[in-house]
Amino acid sequence: MTNERERRQSNDIILAVEDVTLSFGGVRAITGVSFDIRKGEIRAIIGPNGAGKTSMLNVINGFYFPEEGRITFRGQTRQRMRPHVAASQGIARTFQNVALFKGMTTLDNIMVGRTLKMHKGLFWQIWRHGPALAEEVEHRKVAEEIIDFLEIQHIRKTPVGRLPYGLQKRVELGRALAMEPDLLLLDEPMAGMNLEEKEDMSRFIVDVNNQYGTTIALIEHDIGVVMDLSDRIVVLEYGRKIADGKPEVVKSDQRVIDAYLGVAH
Amino acid sequence: MLYREAGQYKTGYTADMAVFPIAQDRAGIAIILAAVVLLPIVANDFMLQAVMIPFLVFALAAIGLNLLTGYTGLLSLGTGGFMGVGAYACYKLTTFFPEVNIVIWILVSGLFAAGVGVIFGLPSLRIKGFYLMVATLASQFFLQWCFNRVQWLYNYNASGAIEVPERYLFGWALTGARATPTVRYYVVLTIVVALTWIASNLVHGRIGRSWMAVRDMDIAAELMGIRLLPTKLLAFAVSSFYCGVAGALMVFLWYATGAEYNVFDINQSFYILSMIIIGGLGSVLGAFFGAALIYILPIALGFAVPALLAPFGLHIGADTLEHVRLIIIGALIIFFLIVEPHGLARLWQIGKHKLRMWPFPY
Amino acid sequence: MDVLYKVLVDPFLQMGGAPDLFVQTLWEGFVVGTLYALIALGFVLIFKASGVFNFAQGIMVVFAALTLVGLYEKGVPAYAALLLAIGAMFLIALGTERLVLRPLVNQPDIILFMATFGLTYVLIGLGELIFGGSPKVMIADQLLLPKGDITFQAFGGIVQLQKIDIAAAVIASLMIAALAVFFQKTRIGRALRAVADSHKAALSVGISLNQIWVIVWFTAGVVALVTGIMWGARSEVSFALQIIALKALPVLILGGFTSIPGAIVGGLIIGLGEKLGEFYWGGLVGGGIESWLAYMIALIFLLFRPQGLFGERIIERI
Repeated sequence: MTNERERRQSNDIILAVEDVTLSFGGVRAITGVSFDIRKGEIRAIIGPNGAGKTSMLNVINGFYFPEEGRITFRGQTRQRMRPHVAASQGIARTFQNVALFKGMTTLDNIMVGRTLKMHKGLFWQIWRHGPALAEEVEHRKVAEEIIDFLEIQHIRKTPVGRLPYGLQKRVELGRALAMEPDLLLLDEPMAGMNLEEKEDMSRFIVDVNNQYGTTIALIEHDIGVVMDLSDRIVVLEYGRKIADGKPEVVKSDQRVIDAYLGVAH
Repeated sequence: MLYREAGQYKTGYTADMAVFPIAQDRAGIAIILAAVVLLPIVANDFMLQAVMIPFLVFALAAIGLNLLTGYTGLLSLGTGGFMGVGAYACYKLTTFFPEVNIVIWILVSGLFAAGVGVIFGLPSLRIKGFYLMVATLASQFFLQWCFNRVQWLYNYNASGAIEVPERYLFGWALTGARATPTVRYYVVLTIVVALTWIASNLVHGRIGRSWMAVRDMDIAAELMGIRLLPTKLLAFAVSSFYCGVAGALMVFLWYATGAEYNVFDINQSFYILSMIIIGGLGSVLGAFFGAALIYILPIALGFAVPALLAPFGLHIGADTLEHVRLIIIGALIIFFLIVEPHGLARLWQIGKHKLRMWPFPY
Repeated sequence: MDVLYKVLVDPFLQMGGAPDLFVQTLWEGFVVGTLYALIALGFVLIFKASGVFNFAQGIMVVFAALTLVGLYEKGVPAYAALLLAIGAMFLIALGTERLVLRPLVNQPDIILFMATFGLTYVLIGLGELIFGGSPKVMIADQLLLPKGDITFQAFGGIVQLQKIDIAAAVIASLMIAALAVFFQKTRIGRALRAVADSHKAALSVGISLNQIWVIVWFTAGVVALVTGIMWGARSEVSFALQIIALKALPVLILGGFTSIPGAIVGGLIIGLGEKLGEFYWGGLVGGGIESWLAYMIALIFLLFRPQGLFGERIIERI
């Protein structure tokens, strides 16, 4: 498996973050962080609570505007943009606290992920027969493939608000996959899961990376999972980058060990 | 035993995505449609004029509000105002161009309401929830004021009211004093059925899903590539279109002779809102249930209660009945919110589900 | 140019030309603003302690005043009627807690809002059923409220202040001060603030939510009664007041849903704004703009400061 992955990975940089600084009313969340993500890799962002990991993802997909710094995605550099623009350029994500559309079914949630790929306007939607229906069927097929892939056929028509947490996380991954993203941001996809669920989710993440070649940036607290899954790791602490590199390098970095064991500064 | 889906195999996604996937449901809808079409044969004028036409008009307005509040999650207390825009627009249009068929103007007046709805929906970019509700109150009171004070809107009539002129459809009187309830009923029925079908199409497709995504979690929706402002404004536009057509129908085909500005006051907004709460937020079918319960039930009670009390020598006044009606509506709203926040529509679904599984509980 | 002159210059010339009228209008706005602030205060109390957007606050004002006057008309002495009206507000608080809030605990805000919307219908129906729907005259004399007016010469003319208006302003101020002390200094007040911050956390330190809700709804009911008496004495006790009470909503938007000072400042801004607007600009468009001006002021304000006057900027997290 490892060989196959290394073969697919290239040195093309899909996303570069340069000197990003972000603060909320005087409180620094991120200070001068730079790193890059290569096409096809699984990149982990780790660090203690409050290190600025989620804020970093929020900056990448346009939800927060950084005060300083630039973000280059697929060759386009920008400092600020709207989230829906990030989505249309091919960035999808999941959330730390599941952000599903709770009143809608699993299927509808995944179909929302297809919104950007659907183009039939109001006029056709009114009739719903002909072109609009054809389009609907076409995207339903994609949605069903994702449902098969994530093994959630049995909850296809269940409102997601009624699903257990582990399944909700899986549906959320499905919704992000439906966008067919180039870059997938996963914010603690395994938080609050038991061992079995974690194993399932790890398998899905690796499979997504393998089968669809999707580049993945991942925040996760379970160091074991991170070391197993990721190709390279960025470590943040108090909004600053303290280490960056392959898992085995990061693992033996003294600053990382200090940060996690809580050595006094 | 009749309500089973066993043996009905879906052979494609089209079949699975149908609004009524089960044959019995489709048969049920066909029977209901046939019944309402044939109704005038057996029903008297009172039944059509005082029960069915208002019911359909309210159901249409409730669908409109439900698209905005139930599907998109934007709380609106401006329904009455948007209905008024439809009515006054229709009045102006038919006085300017009397030769154009009134049915066309009724539908076009919905477009005017949609335009006004979009303008008052603009603040929804920056404000949400209860704050947005105040924006819709602003539209309600401002529009109501316009209907009262801008004399041009009612052609400077001394009465300050819309006076519905006589208009014809295929030689039959459709509006004005000479129009029969039967003719008006058929036109209202046609328009309401067509618009219900369209609403159902919209909410089952991409647009409906975008609305619900914005309702359930707007931030996540935006990160999925849904642009919030256009989506919300479309909801305002379509919703106001429905309300506007309902308003025009109300004045021209229900009241049929005229209406004053205070028909479209804030109480009308409250009335429609209570319909969708009881009928079911986020359900097209719920709008019909809500309209039936809120509008028809009190009429039924108005006949039934005095008749039931009469043998005991008890007498109940019309006023008292009206007060009791308000208490019942209020209590029903609270009851439904506690027992089933998704209203009658959800109860209906649960009932159908039970029937499918019968005699097994699960 | 003519239009611009009429909108931008002429009203101010009028203000300068007849300062007595200007002061009179300001006073009107001040009194109305105080009453709006009182209604908004009832909203704020309930919103702070239970997170419920109480749509029924307006009808509670009407219901309280109606009970007072209705009982008096049925032969109950004025002060006994006052006590009974307070008792009625307690019953409403108790009933609301038991039948509406308790079964709906932990439901989304919008559901709770709609429940109070249902409560509004119940109270309208109940009020009309018991006391009839026709407007009534407030028993201001029997409650020993002052009447008549104070007239004095000033600002190059005559300014006339109704004594009842002065009483209203004084009583409203006292009431607000008392509530502020109650919130800040007493044990119950601290519990209320704790509940406002987090229901679960408050429960975990042994605060009874149900008790708090009854207390806070009862307090809001008493505020409603005072508002109803004052408003009733200025005009009349009728169900139309319920619509006027909706103007507490723009007040809340200006002031923020949880701030008592906000409710006061917001009330005054709306009161002054709409009286001045109506008097100096209303005539340009045919008058009657009071019915919507308050909402428009709030709306325009919202576009520039969505978090309200005293609200903190919300950082959205995900």
